[in-house]
Amino acid sequence: MWKPKDILGPETILITREQIVRYAGASGDYNPIHYDEEQARRFGLPGVIAHGMLNMGLAARFLETQSPPGARFQRYTVRFRQMVRPNQRLIISGIVKSVQNEGDIFHAAIDVVMQIENGDAVITGQAVMTVPIKTAKS
Amino acid sequence: MFDYDPTRIGERSAPRSHEIEKGAIRRFAEALGEKNSIYFDEKEARAAGFPGLPAPPTFPFTLPPHPIPGVRLPQAGIIHGEQEFIYGRPICAGDIITVSAWLDNVKVRQGHLGSMTILTIMRDGLHQNGDIAFQSRSIVIVTEEVQRDVEA
Repeated sequence: MWKPKDILGPETILITREQIVRYAGASGDYNPIHYDEEQARRFGLPGVIAHGMLNMGLAARFLETQSPPGARFQRYTVRFRQMVRPNQRLIISGIVKSVQNEGDIFHAAIDVVMQIENGDAVITGQAVMTVPIKTAKS
Repeated sequence: MFDYDPTRIGERSAPRSHEIEKGAIRRFAEALGEKNSIYFDEKEARAAGFPGLPAPPTFPFTLPPHPIPGVRLPQAGIIHGEQEFIYGRPICAGDIITVSAWLDNVKVRQGHLGSMTILTIMRDGLHQNGDIAFQSRSIVIVTEEVQRDVEA
């Protein structure tokens, strides 16, 4: 089971144009700034950017991968700090802030950060996850 | 100025029901590079205690509400600043989730892009028996440039 100060990750991922298009389709968010270079520039952007919600979803996927079996999100908050362009390499990591025992479950508070390789944070966030004590022990 | 009616802050949009489809969950999970079989295989989902394929944590954002009363948002160019979800009973394939949204707060700030309007938009989703599936808080920013675009 997690202990305070446990480090999760890091995991390195590459956001491709294909993934952005797939996410547009899967989420129904067809805002042109995510696939049309010209329109993206018209809105003052350097070109197409990944959906903030794609970044948030990737960080959630990362947290799940790092979690004990049976862990579920109770609360998940992120701040979007930076845009992500296609073909940028990102590093996701986390740190366990606190773990509390309540009846037959643990509540764990985790800080997560996704950053551009050698660069700024893209998102920073917090998750509170519940883990059933039975699976946490096994 | 940003186009909204201040007397209608807190007024909920008409409820909008969404049928949660297996295919939509699988496609969404796939788009995020999920490998966890609970999102793809119903047997695995049931073994993990879900009645059907569960929705990944950020899936609720793909369930659009009806328009918020008294608010006109631009089609493109709004910046998503912050997002929070609080989870209730999990959303699974086969569920019907009824979503509504409301404007919670509006602030105007001067930034390097000129004036910015910062909106707090709340959203919630309920199961058919009234159980809360999720609550969502979004902070979105509309810059002066985009506002001009809407007005044009």
